Parts: sequence; structure tokens; C-alpha cells
Amino acid sequence: MSDLADQRGMETAVYQPAEDSKLLADVAVESVDGSDRVLDVGTGSGYVAGRIASATAASVVASDVNPHACRQARDNAREETIPLDVVRGDCTRPFDAETFDAVTFNPPYLPRDEAAERDDWMERALTGGETGREVIESFLDDVARVLTSDGVVFLLVSTLTDIEAVAGYAADRSLAAETAREESFPFERLAVLRITEEH
Amino acid sequence: MDIVCCPLDKSELELEAIRRDDDEVLEGRLVCTECSEEYPIEDGIPNLLPPDMREA
Repeated sequence: MSDLADQRGMETAVYQPAEDSKLLADVAVESVDGSDRVLDVGTGSGYVAGRIASATAASVVASDVNPHACRQARDNAREETIPLDVVRGDCTRPFDAETFDAVTFNPPYLPRDEAAERDDWMERALTGGETGREVIESFLDDVARVLTSDGVVFLLVSTLTDIEAVAGYAADRSLAAETAREESFPFERLAVLRITEEH
Repeated sequence: MDIVCCPLDKSELELEAIRRDDDEVLEGRLVCTECSEEYPIEDGIPNLLPPDMREA
């Protein structure tokens, strides 16, 4: 009984990998080089970070604002003997400048729905404020700082988030965004944006 | 992990280890060499959220 209750507690606290996580991991794994240093922001269960670390020889760091996610990502990596450093933090803000060759992020991107508001960690994993873009914009405000000169960002976005608006916000920060891959689902189209600094 | 910095002023952090396991610090703290803010390490996970985001 208590095991099941614990399990349920976990499921409401940490976002579990879904189609969006898989799409992001597929694109990142193809592009990351074994000598790269990679940061997975908003790692949740650690799925994307784990996929990159196990498929490439890259050195991978995972971060999340949610303490339950940090613990789960660390535990999952240990269980599968995947080398992964986990840091609790706000997007890229606790990392040194010019550190990462690639940064991946499957952000909370759904616009807030007041009828479904829950005020828990899962809500924070799913919703990005009124527009769905608040966390993405906060991420884009700082990510260039931690990228190496030819560093790349892979950002998962949805048509529910307004992909053009995300690309426009990036362009205002001298970041160029192009679609690396997209996939359609019943209520939305998901895209992985490949974002680089405009030189 | 020599890639982390103070989230507030981006300065270097000094590691104070309390409990270690092989090559990893399980319990300890990271202290900012500039503003002296302390960031705890628990179960091998440094909490580098700025103080105003540390609730919960």
C-alpha cells in the first residue's frame, strides 16, 4: 500500500519521459560529439541526459529546479551506471561562462489553464505561465553566456507555445533558431529548435 | 565539478566537504568567494538555487 502511494507521489512530482523527451534526445544524440560537455536543463527523470551520456562519450551535467527530479535523475543514472552530475538550479544560472558545447532543454511549455491549476511540481514541469513561454524566455536570457563559441542549444517547442514567437525572442538576443526536426501529434506539432549564437 | 559558479554574481565557489564517498562529495557546502552566500550539498546534489528560490 505505502509503496503504491509512494509511487503515485513520485509520479505527481517528476515529469516522466514522453514523446517530446524522445524527440529531443534523438536529435541531441546525433549531434553531440564524444569530446563535448553537455548540459541538460530541466532534466526531470534524467531521461535526455542519460540517453546522451550512454550513447556518446560526452560529459553530461543535468539540472532541474525540482529537488525530487534531481534525486530521481541521480538515482536513475546510478542504477544504470551512467556517469551523470546533477545540480539543482535555475536554468543555466549556476554555471560558468563558455562551458558547454551543447545545452538541451525540454521546457514547461503549456499556457496556464486556471481550471487545471494544481500548484505542485508537476504543474511547474508542464506550464510556462500565461503564454507558455515564460520559462523558455528566462532560459534564452542566459543560455548564450554558458555556450562555447560554437556551442549549440537544442530546445523542444510546441505549436501550443507559438514556435515563431520563441524564434523571435531568440533573435532579439542575437540567437539564430532553425528547426532541426519536427513531428506531429493529435493536438500539437513538436519541433526541436537548433539555436546558435549569431556571429 | 569545476563548472559551477555563484548564481547571483557568477563568482567562484569554495568547496567545504563534510562527507565524501570515493571521489564525490555527498554532504557539504559551496561558499561564494565574493558574496559569501552558502549553497548546501545534500545526497551528492548541490543546491545552487538563489536564496529567494529555495522554498520547498
